Amino acid sequence: MELQLDRYAYLETPLHRWDPRCKLVGMMVLIFAFSYVRDLRLLPVILAVSGAMYVYSGLPLSFLLSRLRLPALFLLAVAVILPFASGQTVLLQLGPLAVKEEGCLDLLRIAVKFFSILTMGIILFGTMPFLTAVKAMRGLGLPYILADMTLFAYRYLFEIGDDLKAMQTAMRLRGFRNKNLSGLSTLASLAGTILVRSFEQSDRVFKAMILRGYGQPASFKDEFQTRAIDVVGLLLLISAAAAVVTAELLLH
Amino acid sequence: MHIPDGILPTAVCLGGYATAGVATWYSLRKINQSENPREGIPRASLLTAAFLVASWVHIPVPPASVHLLLNGLLGAVLGFYAFPAILIGLFFQAVMFQHGGLTTLGVNASIIGVSAILAHFVFQTRKLFGPDNRTATGVFGFLAGASGIALAAVAVFALLVTTIPANIDVGAERTAIGILTIAHVPLMLLEGVFTALVVLFLIRVKPELLEDN
Repeated sequence: MELQLDRYAYLETPLHRWDPRCKLVGMMVLIFAFSYVRDLRLLPVILAVSGAMYVYSGLPLSFLLSRLRLPALFLLAVAVILPFASGQTVLLQLGPLAVKEEGCLDLLRIAVKFFSILTMGIILFGTMPFLTAVKAMRGLGLPYILADMTLFAYRYLFEIGDDLKAMQTAMRLRGFRNKNLSGLSTLASLAGTILVRSFEQSDRVFKAMILRGYGQPASFKDEFQTRAIDVVGLLLLISAAAAVVTAELLLH
Repeated sequence: MHIPDGILPTAVCLGGYATAGVATWYSLRKINQSENPREGIPRASLLTAAFLVASWVHIPVPPASVHLLLNGLLGAVLGFYAFPAILIGLFFQAVMFQHGGLTTLGVNASIIGVSAILAHFVFQTRKLFGPDNRTATGVFGFLAGASGIALAAVAVFALLVTTIPANIDVGAERTAIGILTIAHVPLMLLEGVFTALVVLFLIRVKPELLEDN
């Protein structure tokens, strides 16, 4: 199993070289500023900012499009419901259904914010290895239990995913057909087996890690160095976020 | 069940992070009270990954298929590790699969995680009937699984319908919550039965998994 999140994490662009801690703080602040936008006039601005940052990140367009497939289903569901359910001003009558202006504007607002925030998230986690992102969060004060659990879970997620695939293949070869609810008990045993295997493996992992010094104070060493340019980048994003919020307060 | 970015007002998203922060603090405090908190980390981490993988199993509900949330089962098996596990699972889903969102991570974790913790307490009630009572394990497994998803579904729909968009009238909001909640009753029953079957499997094959939390 390969999720390809780190596929373009080793490119050489200013965004890739940016101190991960500054990048996390700056981009999360900007993401929350985007989520604060309600005024329709600001939608092109946040779309342009996220688009410009994506181009600057050097990530290929195909990478963005490939990660939009699943969220697109959500947008489709919203597009089917909102224009008919929200508002009073009828734009178009389609038989018993009426397309309403307020619903269409709500849809536009949600779609643009959704796309802009998603793009920023992809830039944030696509321009540094996932492990670096977790270490940066640890550097920013994430409790060690959460950081350790995230790193362990990430390490074994792919392995357990491969186990599931192998077990499902074995079940099919033995004649199991996942067609109706009569196989629920078998599927519960499958889920239970994944849990039991992981539980047993965790004991071995813990013992092996203790032998390698797990839990000693030097487990997490601060490996990041903040340069002046990193701080400038951080201040730039915070200023942009402040400008978006101020504009929203003035306009709305 | 995972609320995406761009839908909820910022105040609600920040409130979600605050709630998730308090719930995480409470869970970590409970975990730190154990003799060796680090000992449980590899186990909880592998089970976090295992739960995420197990939730990918398609359950056929003709003519379609569904994925289960498994938050009730997670609460039953992981106890106080359930909240951090859910937080991490949702973070993975948001970052790797763009399922859920970064701004809504706190809200989603609060809804699904708090339901999991409540499901944990529901499942612990089985001990009143004796530790080896299979019937009680099955019944309380069902209740934990069903209540986990029921609480999460009601919370998600109430939050969605009351916060977006402002142009839907109150009557329509109430109807929508009612319809969406009722539509989830079959899923609730399915999740309950599945959880009961899994805990019965675990008590037969690896009872330590249910005892150690």
